[in-house]
Amino acid sequence: MRFASLLREGLSTAWANKVPTALVALLVAIMCATTLATVGRTAAAEQQVADRLDAAGSRLLVVTDTRNGELIGPAVVQQTRALSVTERAVGVQIPVDVVNKVIGAGGTRVPAWTVDGDLSEVLTLTAGRWPGPGEALVSAQAQQTLGLDDPVGAVQLASTTQVGDFSVVGAFEPREPFGQYAAGLVVAAAPDAISDSLYVVVTDSSVASAAQSAVIGLVAPPEFDSISIQSPVALAELQAEVAADLGTFGRTLLLGVLGAGALLVAIVVLADVLVRRKDLGRRRALGATRGAIVAMVIARTLLPALLGAGIGVGAGLWAADRFAAIPPWQFTTGTAILAVLAAVASAVLPALYAATRDPVRVLRTP
Amino acid sequence: MLSVRDLSFSYTRHGEELFDGLTHEFTPGKVTAVTGPSGRGKSTLLYVLGLMLTPSRGEVILDHDRVSHASDTSRSRVRAARIGFVFQDAALDPSRVVLDSVIEPALYAGWSARRARRRGRELLEEMGVAARADHKPGEISGGQAQRVAVCRALVTDPAVVLADEPTGNLDRGNAEGVLAALTRATDHGRDGEAKGRTVIIATHDPFVLEHADEVLAL
Repeated sequence: MRFASLLREGLSTAWANKVPTALVALLVAIMCATTLATVGRTAAAEQQVADRLDAAGSRLLVVTDTRNGELIGPAVVQQTRALSVTERAVGVQIPVDVVNKVIGAGGTRVPAWTVDGDLSEVLTLTAGRWPGPGEALVSAQAQQTLGLDDPVGAVQLASTTQVGDFSVVGAFEPREPFGQYAAGLVVAAAPDAISDSLYVVVTDSSVASAAQSAVIGLVAPPEFDSISIQSPVALAELQAEVAADLGTFGRTLLLGVLGAGALLVAIVVLADVLVRRKDLGRRRALGATRGAIVAMVIARTLLPALLGAGIGVGAGLWAADRFAAIPPWQFTTGTAILAVLAAVASAVLPALYAATRDPVRVLRTP
Repeated sequence: MLSVRDLSFSYTRHGEELFDGLTHEFTPGKVTAVTGPSGRGKSTLLYVLGLMLTPSRGEVILDHDRVSHASDTSRSRVRAARIGFVFQDAALDPSRVVLDSVIEPALYAGWSARRARRRGRELLEEMGVAARADHKPGEISGGQAQRVAVCRALVTDPAVVLADEPTGNLDRGNAEGVLAALTRATDHGRDGEAKGRTVIIATHDPFVLEHADEVLAL
């Protein structure tokens, strides 16, 4: 039997037997919609966890020289930047308070961080020029707080015991995960400046542990307690566990929904086959092979299953959208394909049953 | 040429043997009526000849091929392409139009739908039911349905047509029409073959027996 004839027969049979056709379509639609509205939400949550895991904030390693032992010099910063597991690295001194030099000591204080390294790794220049050593960039918020009309001018230390000032040569917006710099100024460090902390953004949360070991090796603290470490390792592990738990839950739920749906489709197809046993017996008598009968039963299940998958995906996405948890397109496509495959697979046994009935017995049954 | 040799059949392993080693050659171009008392296996013989039942002994030979013991798939293909069936109750698909029912065996034989439909319309025209081609079986009379069933049996131009009590449910007028159609079917030489088509009718209708060319009594 030709493939085109087979499909046409499947379509005609599906159209002629509207109740089982509608039931198969409905069941597959429910399978898809339920999966997308439940497992899909889990998949979306899993995706969100993965996104957060991938965010720069979850990949930030901070090593602080707790005893002021001059451990984090420019060479350590440069070597850390050169590591294969490093995306960005800068040395940062303890922030100091500064005021607008024009106003003087009575001006409003804002923090200033002295940063050793490529400033483009911590901020984006929005006005002016890149600062040289001892020059500063000001954030929009700090500019307003200091009372600067433009991001140009000078600030001085607010301390009564130290004297110093910095020229302001431009404005910036901080890059993640250096959002706290939005409150103040960033000062370019002198070439030989010693930093108090080393900020390292690793390339991937999965390499956080290796990066930590490598950076500690470069900093080389003389004592174990010479440094303190703020590590993303524990956070990465926790998020990975949460993602794994969500994944396991989602897969179990998916298998449950597909299994239950496939069972119901199998019952509908079997009932349809039993009702149509005379029709199938006639087809066998007229020359349909067992393979053709199996293929016809599967085709007559496949076509409404495809329709149901389309309807179910639409309904499921609408429901997921109501919960603001649209699953990834790969999950949506996979769900539709799995639901159709489950329906088709569940039709195989009833189809084999239909194909192996004795046509004479069926035809002679009054 | 259809023949049986030393043919016996039993529905169960140790059940009653039917036909008792029947050997017979059915003459091409003739209508052979198979008759006998109820329970002697008239319909069963047709199902054995139609390769739906496998003989417990002996064989069915079609055009020198021992077809009765072939694989199920091979027998199905022979049934689709070389054997036509007319059932007592016409057995048309109630959900499909008449033309769709007529072309069924051709589709199973691997014909394209276009070719099958063209042949189906020709046959419906010959049988005088072309006007009913797009009607469903519930919208035509019993006699018309049986003539449609004859069209279905002939659509693949088979070597053999088997009819099981084709006039059993019909009045005399319609029975005459169906018998005439089956008789005409013997005249058509299959693929140019001069001998014509073998038509075998299982019946106890005296009218059919009277008009058959040959009678095989079981």
